[in-house]
Amino acid sequence: MTRTFTLPAGSGRFLAFLLLVVLVATAFTLAEPRFLSTQNMSAVTRHMAANGLAALGLTFVVIVRKFDLSFAGTACFAAMTIGYLIALGQPLWIAILAGIVVGAAIGAFNGVVISYFRFPDIVTTIATGSIAAGLAFVYSNGRTIFQNFMSSGILDLNDARVFGYSLSFVFLLGLYAAAWFFMHRTRYGASFYATGENPVAAYYSGVPTRLYTMLAFVACGITCVLAVLLILAESGTADTNEGANLLMPAYAGVFLGTALMGRTSVMATLAGTFLITMLLDGFSLLGIPFYYSDGVVSAILLAGVVFFDARLREFLSDIGSFLQPASAKKEKRS
Amino acid sequence: MTDAIAHPSVARLDTQKPKNGLVSRYWLLATLVFMVAVFAFLRPQLVDSSNIATILRSSAMTAIMILGLTWVIAAGKIDVSFMHVAALGNMTTAYLLAGGHGWLVAGLVGVSVGAVAGLFNGLLVAVMRLQPLIVTIATGGICASIAAALGKGTSIRIADPGPLGDLIFTNIGPVPVIAIAVAGLYALSWYAQEKLTFGHYIFATAQSEAAVDQAGVSVRNLLMLLFVFSGVMSALTGVLLAASLSSGQPMIGSSYFIDGLTAVLLGGMMLRIGKPNVLGTTTAILILAVLVSGSALLGWADYQRQIIKGILLLIGVTVAMRAVNGRQSQHAEAS
Repeated sequence: MTRTFTLPAGSGRFLAFLLLVVLVATAFTLAEPRFLSTQNMSAVTRHMAANGLAALGLTFVVIVRKFDLSFAGTACFAAMTIGYLIALGQPLWIAILAGIVVGAAIGAFNGVVISYFRFPDIVTTIATGSIAAGLAFVYSNGRTIFQNFMSSGILDLNDARVFGYSLSFVFLLGLYAAAWFFMHRTRYGASFYATGENPVAAYYSGVPTRLYTMLAFVACGITCVLAVLLILAESGTADTNEGANLLMPAYAGVFLGTALMGRTSVMATLAGTFLITMLLDGFSLLGIPFYYSDGVVSAILLAGVVFFDARLREFLSDIGSFLQPASAKKEKRS
Repeated sequence: MTDAIAHPSVARLDTQKPKNGLVSRYWLLATLVFMVAVFAFLRPQLVDSSNIATILRSSAMTAIMILGLTWVIAAGKIDVSFMHVAALGNMTTAYLLAGGHGWLVAGLVGVSVGAVAGLFNGLLVAVMRLQPLIVTIATGGICASIAAALGKGTSIRIADPGPLGDLIFTNIGPVPVIAIAVAGLYALSWYAQEKLTFGHYIFATAQSEAAVDQAGVSVRNLLMLLFVFSGVMSALTGVLLAASLSSGQPMIGSSYFIDGLTAVLLGGMMLRIGKPNVLGTTTAILILAVLVSGSALLGWADYQRQIIKGILLLIGVTVAMRAVNGRQSQHAEAS
């Protein structure tokens, strides 16, 4: 693509994102001065943690060009597993480990049948998600589990602070930093991208594409459990639909990030999640009723996908190329 | 990945002669018969005429809602906004009725809202070529929000279910009138899908949009038509549900999401393996309805049914994939 005028891909986009954030923050602050208060900012970072974790795993799946619709159900099942073990009086780390194993197992199942047996991704993950959401009812027949939550120490995960920020937010940033290093600074990350871009070429270049596809689903299964763990810590009870609200913000975070940054990446997801959390938080601060929140997320997602669409950008850059001085056109367009 | 449902290897088999075995073609119908037999043996109430009428009535509702969805998925796209469009049609009708409008106006506006939603989906997917899953997740979320906002977060009661309510609860023998109407609708759809070029274009679009375009058929218009049709049918169901429940329920959609997709995708495992089709959808809807009714008679919990539905869907995919692999020598390379 030798265009004489293209919107810059890397730094320009980041600046545009920063500008957008500043604009949104200014608008909210003008409407509601409490928006910039430390209390609200720490609330934003805490809400961001759960959504961001779920979106991180989904990022991997989207990078290998698949979809996972099961992680909300997986999160519900894992949440009830953790709650059940805590209620039984097991140590916290065993409960959390069991939850992660549940998430990894469902993710591995999805990954194996989709990559090795070539099942269609959307259908399979709808089915496994439905099964997992049903299994969430098995432990307590659908009743909320709250026994031993106070004494187990899970609430400390929510209350603990590091340098003034909640532990969950620091954990989120740490995990994103690790994921960023892995995806964008090692050859394994490059293999993930190769698997998504062109699996045949990647396969003949020595990338075990099926393994990478499977690992993406496992990652998605694990991160959704981590996300629901934070929700558990915040609410102090385990409910059968604890993870059901993860689906929408995760998809919105990944695809809004993709739209903003031009391609799916770890940092793009972080940016998308940040913007969405900020908007949601701002709207709830303004006292907009709860039932608008899904609509707001959806509208933002749609706007992002439409306005940052590559074709629209090409159209704009075409117009830009018409408007340049004729002498500046050094190379022919291919 | 433009092709949301048909897996590459599923798509590849269609270039070969279809010689689906009898088992893989009709196993779904056999499952239906088997399930009816088992449930009727365990709980004879299942085949009471009043219960049959209930099963058929609820199946008819689902069938209208997902007729359009069947073709959208058959064309290789996906629409996960259908249940929220139905909820929006449902709430719009209830809202207008509560505002003092007649059934005619309320019903028509309710259906047109679905057409608008479908048009919107169609514009984004067919004209702007955006990813259908993401687009319809977003439009579905917007529809759900508007539906909830119309009732300020709660349901709206309808004082008079009107002539539609009477129609829905009229039976001829054990068969509700609406089920007969839906059977007629599906017969027409079957004709359109199998005997008219329309159906050929749908299945061809799933294979290769470029090829269909090259052949002089506008994929854009076809997809547009399919999405609008899907929106209208979903909203129509919403209007009918408003009459049958005497209320507008903003959360009505969520219960249809898994059922609708399961029915379409399971149905795609019958007759035309890997391709959703209207007869397969009908059979799958009946299976799900019998499962719900039979397991309720046996006293199973809701979550047990949900697990069974999920397993059923997985089995369906497995059968389809086996049918594919049996016919194809291994394309062992990277998929």
